[in-house]
Amino acid sequence: MEKLLEAAKKVCDKVEVYSVQYTGSSVSFQDAKLHDIDSAYQSGVSLRIIKEGKLGFAYTKNLLNREELLQNALDSLAGGVEADYDFPLTKELPQLDTYNPSLEKLSSKQMVEECARVCDLLKSETDGEILASASSHIGDIRIINSEGTDISGKATSYSLAGIVIYPQSASGIQRSFHSKGFERTPDDSLNEIIELYNISSRVVEPKGGRMKVMFMPNSMVTLRWRILSGTSSKSVYEKTSPIADKRGEKIFDEKITVCDDPLNDKYPGARPFDDEGVASKPLTIVENGVLKSFFYDLNYASKLNAEPTGHGYRVAQWGGDPITTKPVPAVTHMSIRPGGRSFAELVKSMDRGLIVEEALGAHSGNIPHGDYSIGVSPGLYVENGEIVGRVKDAMVAGNIYETLKHVVDVGDSLYPSDGGAWVPAILFDDVSVSTKS
Amino acid sequence: MFDRLREVLGKLDVDYADIRYEIKKATVISFDGKELTQIGSNSTDGYVLRALKDGGFSSVVFTKESDAEKAAFAAAENARLIAQNIEKPVSLTKAEVVKDTSLPPLKEDPREVSVAEKLELIRKYNDIPLGYEKIATTSISYQEVIREKYFTSTEGTEIREDLVTTRLSGEIISKDGDLTQNVRVKAGGSEGFSTIRNQEKNFEERTKIALDLLKAKPVEGGTYTCVLNPEMAGIFAHEAFGHFSEGDIIEALPAMREKMKMGEKLGSDVLNIVDDATLSDQLGFYKYDDEGVRVHPTQLMRNGVLTGRLHSRRTAAEFGEPLSGHCVAEDYRYAPIIRMGTIFIKPGTRSFDELLSMLGEGLYILDAKGGQTAGENFTFGAQYGYLVKDGKLGEMVRDINISGNLYKTLVDIVAVGDDFVLGKVGGCGKGQINIRSCHGGPHILVNNLVVGGV
Repeated sequence: MEKLLEAAKKVCDKVEVYSVQYTGSSVSFQDAKLHDIDSAYQSGVSLRIIKEGKLGFAYTKNLLNREELLQNALDSLAGGVEADYDFPLTKELPQLDTYNPSLEKLSSKQMVEECARVCDLLKSETDGEILASASSHIGDIRIINSEGTDISGKATSYSLAGIVIYPQSASGIQRSFHSKGFERTPDDSLNEIIELYNISSRVVEPKGGRMKVMFMPNSMVTLRWRILSGTSSKSVYEKTSPIADKRGEKIFDEKITVCDDPLNDKYPGARPFDDEGVASKPLTIVENGVLKSFFYDLNYASKLNAEPTGHGYRVAQWGGDPITTKPVPAVTHMSIRPGGRSFAELVKSMDRGLIVEEALGAHSGNIPHGDYSIGVSPGLYVENGEIVGRVKDAMVAGNIYETLKHVVDVGDSLYPSDGGAWVPAILFDDVSVSTKS
Repeated sequence: MFDRLREVLGKLDVDYADIRYEIKKATVISFDGKELTQIGSNSTDGYVLRALKDGGFSSVVFTKESDAEKAAFAAAENARLIAQNIEKPVSLTKAEVVKDTSLPPLKEDPREVSVAEKLELIRKYNDIPLGYEKIATTSISYQEVIREKYFTSTEGTEIREDLVTTRLSGEIISKDGDLTQNVRVKAGGSEGFSTIRNQEKNFEERTKIALDLLKAKPVEGGTYTCVLNPEMAGIFAHEAFGHFSEGDIIEALPAMREKMKMGEKLGSDVLNIVDDATLSDQLGFYKYDDEGVRVHPTQLMRNGVLTGRLHSRRTAAEFGEPLSGHCVAEDYRYAPIIRMGTIFIKPGTRSFDELLSMLGEGLYILDAKGGQTAGENFTFGAQYGYLVKDGKLGEMVRDINISGNLYKTLVDIVAVGDDFVLGKVGGCGKGQINIRSCHGGPHILVNNLVVGGV
């Protein structure tokens, strides 16, 4: 890596070398039986160069030929991608607890035994079809750049997901559990699956209309995606964000506070620096319903004349390899501030409504505009404060800039959600639900 | 190359093993609005090794050749661990031993077109929408992916196959006051750079739709009878039905497996669904899958009766059904899984006008915008649509998302058009992305679709 940096420095103004290596294992159970065990040993190097205000980008998995990698980056300069920013000099970083060495010794056998235990428990308490999977990941990122930055971080993560599927379908109740080292999945998570599944086994066909709708951690991706689309510096720069000029204004109900805290190392995935080497710090995006800040990577911070907030991550919409992906503004540690109501209390406060456990089609529709229109998979139907069954064919639709103004209450516990987010259940009022009846 | 791969396999004490080495060359040119955001060509590589031992089957992926031994050991160890923990040992259906090289015939090899020329062409297309005042921005990307694959197994199969994919895709975003609308634009295929040429008209047409959508009304939620255009029909064939023809998905869902037995009559008499990745000059084309099995055209449904399924060697053995050659990986980072190749509804006899008059009153919906399924339930977006009254197209509507139930919809497809269009750009995400996922069909008439308004 150092040799590559030196070689590149001779022919460019600014250079960044990003490298990553990781090992991972995963175990999956289908129909409560062991199905697959897979392992991965991956690595790669990604090079960004800036010369005369233009960006060059290249990458490789096996750094066998430094000259070729550098040449690819130099060739891409000719395209003229503008890069009016500097790579940061980052030195003092907080010590975060991201690495649990016990994960290095975790065997596939232990993960198989834990999944089997979870499957047995779920099977003994429900009549559904059981899926479970566990995975472990040990990653090592290093970033060096021509400003003198040389930072690295090692992190471990372990997760287990259990799902009980309603017979004759593929929708069900899922909860996942995340930690830095191997831990027994807490009974609370598993009991929640069992309870929700058993209480919703009856299929009901309620009339549609406007009603209370509760988004659960697994369906929250619908709202999260649109909130982040609206608050990304990229959308602000491209003028596709409907809230680009609303900083300081109230955009949501005052019960809604959206933060990002990459330094919170209670959960796996904490990061002292982003994928561009900018030091991480907590960011409040929406506070008590008021839009406080957008999030920036180096590129869009420079275009919008703002300070980078440490949100340049090598992520693509559908995952992708960090090595082959250029940094973009992204929030990877989002949380929504929990409220004071337990899930049971939230359900009690619903005269009539739908709990969206999982959303179908969260990625379709006019995301920049904040519109959503999702199928429920499943939706649990509530009448007079009690869950009476599940709905199969129903669609929930709205616009987040309307929906998030009608918050009844926010749940008191945080759950892991997609994209590294931790969110509570949120109950909304006056949301449109279409059904066949 | 094959000598080195055979040497790795030779170190294994297992019942079966295969290894795939792959070099992936990717070229990307991306625009966000006027701005070029990415350009360049890069090459990456890696290995995927799979081992079967005593009925346990496991895979490992690795980047460095120096990790080969460690990886082989891990695969064998995990296979043994699986064997100890499963009741029913995994077996693989016998496949023909093949030695072959398959290099696709190309109409203009993209490797012979300079990056500068590609950039100029993409910029020209991107400038078309940007020339209109109410187009806020675009997001247009050209991607060229060339997979050079070397596959060998302990059974003696040795296959070198190249897959060349060109794709031009993106969004045109229009804006009027607070209202933004987006429309997708697509071109590409498996047969070379010619698929990217002459797209000016395509960009003009898509731009017009994006502008017209600013004046369209949101559709009202409710239950509608709809005519679906070929792309929407294709997404139905793929998302709602196709995934449940995949052996690995249905294997995990015993109740659905029970329902989707060969010979079951699940659809209306007019419904015929086929997966045929052997069709040349189509996005989904390939010769061998990533298990070294030659792909066959597979009729999945004939006159509403279930007649076939897509398989890997493992699921073919599990179901006792013939091999189809549909076990495909995204690239060197993944072990293969079952994927559709080119799935479509076979054309019928009705003209478009006949379908509209049969519809009478309802919606004509066009062009998919994301879709997802969970078992029998599916949800897809349509990019735009038209109200239909008395069999005539009326005003344009937007914000269309439909949701339905697989089994009910299979019966509710009551008429099939006589036209036929296959998709140019794929992107099925089933844990891995399949950029060659191709689907299509004719116009179809479907009763009882739930449409969610906003």
